[in-house]
Amino acid sequence: MSSAKTDTIEVSGLTKVFNGKVRAVDTISFIVKGGEILGFLGPNGAGKTTTLNMLSTLLKPTSGTATVNGHDIVEESDAVRRSIGYVFQDPTLDIELTGRENLDFHGRLYNLNRNLRKQRIKEMLEIVQLTDRADNLVKTYSGGMKRRLEIARGLLHHPKVLFLDEPTLGLDPQTRHSIWEHIQRLNQEKKITIILTTHYTEEADHLCDRILIIDFGKIVALDTPDKLKAQLEGDVVSLTFKAPEMIPKVHPLFEKKKWIRRVHLLSVDDNQATTNRMMNMMHGMAAGSGMTGGINHGSTGRSRMPKHLEKMQPHGSINQNSFSNQALGSKRLNLLVDDGGHRIPSIVKLVDEAGVALESVELHKPTLDDVFISVTGRNIRDQRGSFMEMVRRHRIMRQARGRQTHG
Amino acid sequence: MVQPLSGQAIYVVLLRELKRYWRAKARIISSVAQSFFFLAIFGLGLGGFIGGVGKVSYLSYLAPGIICMGLLFGSVFSGVSVIFDRQFGFMKEMLVAPVSRTSIILGKILGGAVTASIQGIILMAVAGIMGAFTPTPALAFGALAAIGVMLLITTGFVGLGVAIGSTLNDFHAFQLLSTFVIWPLFMLSGAFFPIDAVPLPLQVAMLFDPMFYGVELLRWCLLGVGTPMLGPFGWLISLGVLTGFNALMIGIGTYLFSRAQV
Repeated sequence: MSSAKTDTIEVSGLTKVFNGKVRAVDTISFIVKGGEILGFLGPNGAGKTTTLNMLSTLLKPTSGTATVNGHDIVEESDAVRRSIGYVFQDPTLDIELTGRENLDFHGRLYNLNRNLRKQRIKEMLEIVQLTDRADNLVKTYSGGMKRRLEIARGLLHHPKVLFLDEPTLGLDPQTRHSIWEHIQRLNQEKKITIILTTHYTEEADHLCDRILIIDFGKIVALDTPDKLKAQLEGDVVSLTFKAPEMIPKVHPLFEKKKWIRRVHLLSVDDNQATTNRMMNMMHGMAAGSGMTGGINHGSTGRSRMPKHLEKMQPHGSINQNSFSNQALGSKRLNLLVDDGGHRIPSIVKLVDEAGVALESVELHKPTLDDVFISVTGRNIRDQRGSFMEMVRRHRIMRQARGRQTHG
Repeated sequence: MVQPLSGQAIYVVLLRELKRYWRAKARIISSVAQSFFFLAIFGLGLGGFIGGVGKVSYLSYLAPGIICMGLLFGSVFSGVSVIFDRQFGFMKEMLVAPVSRTSIILGKILGGAVTASIQGIILMAVAGIMGAFTPTPALAFGALAAIGVMLLITTGFVGLGVAIGSTLNDFHAFQLLSTFVIWPLFMLSGAFFPIDAVPLPLQVAMLFDPMFYGVELLRWCLLGVGTPMLGPFGWLISLGVLTGFNALMIGIGTYLFSRAQV
């Protein structure tokens, strides 16, 4: 075991099964060092919030252990609660009270004496620049102001660890950047360890020292943003076709070229893959290698993937039949190419010779989005295809949670 | 996890309830006005027709019952408001703090009891101004005792509200709650008519209504009269029933609340 002084959070085999069926978090293990900003990146329902709820003692894990600031999350929940601040995804302010009263209420709950409360409230209001609005009712605040107040509240009792669940969800870009600045300042000036969840890749890229990509309750990658991106060597060439049926036609052509490291289908209709994985998860089969038929993350590998990511891939096998099914719904292919700028003419020629009509071609350096696609097989933004599934999933989880007890 | 009760936590939840109550002026005014209409229209209107009940005028007879109506609605809805705290997220802020759920819910119950009783005190003053109570030295003591009785009455009903609010997940159930729980509790409480004057089935139903004992006790404090049916120690019986009801409701409310998911 590494020393508790440098590792603020240690998670080992943490698992949460809802209702005996839904494996929302599936045997995850990781360590967070003191003063680090760790980002949980994943689509909605990936298990991010459930993990935070376990680490903050709101939910009891089904199995596995974790310590926060050296305290066990089950055995020493009170000590854990004293060590953490939690800014929830949904607003949790009392809008009928003023900003100052919300902070005062929090200070009392954490047993800060009168003078300490006064001093810290003043300090925190200054940090989040709400001093002049402190005595207005929270219901008169804007979304960004409410978020800042919640962050101030989460820090009032000087926690060692701050959990931020989707800190900028639904905020406009300008407010988002201001929240980012606040988070970075707090981390640097107060040396607070921060775990934040997000499904914005640019947020994870901008803020986090390390990123943990979580998908269907499992960790699929964990590294610094730069290393994650560097693992995808080369450039990404993005091809958009006029008709989705054409993709299976050109796909084998790319497969044969040595300089194309990886071919990746983008904007796939996620429905089938999601449903299959969902079924597997519900039957508790996700652990181990039991996932084969029908599971396809849209990439046809020539094992050109970096070793590290390859290992992280939860689902190894590729099913060609389901590939062509999936291709029906998609219009884009992503190619990971050595020296992409120079290869574009060859690629266009290749497509042209196959008699397939192109709509557009784009070139960019690998981003976290590309990393996300390569490890999960899906685009983090592209959730349209699986929307109904998400609704269903959400309902399942809610119902399952409704029957859980904790305390 | 077993956590000790925290006086500070109970106090701070109570404080929040008071602040929220005080700020919702419209709610206070509408609730007092509603009770005033009942008193004025039924008390004077029906009173002119009936005359009185026993030795007291109908207005006087009705006043403790109407005060209890305010207590009942105020306390049950205050307890049920845990549903809003759960839905609108504030509950999470309390649950992740290093305090026990029991402390939170005791604060909530206490807060509900205090705010509903404040409502009761306002109504008592309104009824007094309308001349419902005979001004004697005994009334001063009676009014003081009545305040204690109000806290006793409301505690159990906030507990009932918390139990309901912890179980329901739906605002739409409010209408059902009002129609099938609160109004029957009020109408069977003997606020409008004496138990001795109604058919047996109704009498039995009234004896099962905890609010019946609340009205009985408040009437005893403010008017010095009791229901002949309960005998000379009716006030003691009422005190006992209400205490038992409170213990039961605090227990059930706390249990259901501690199981509820946010």
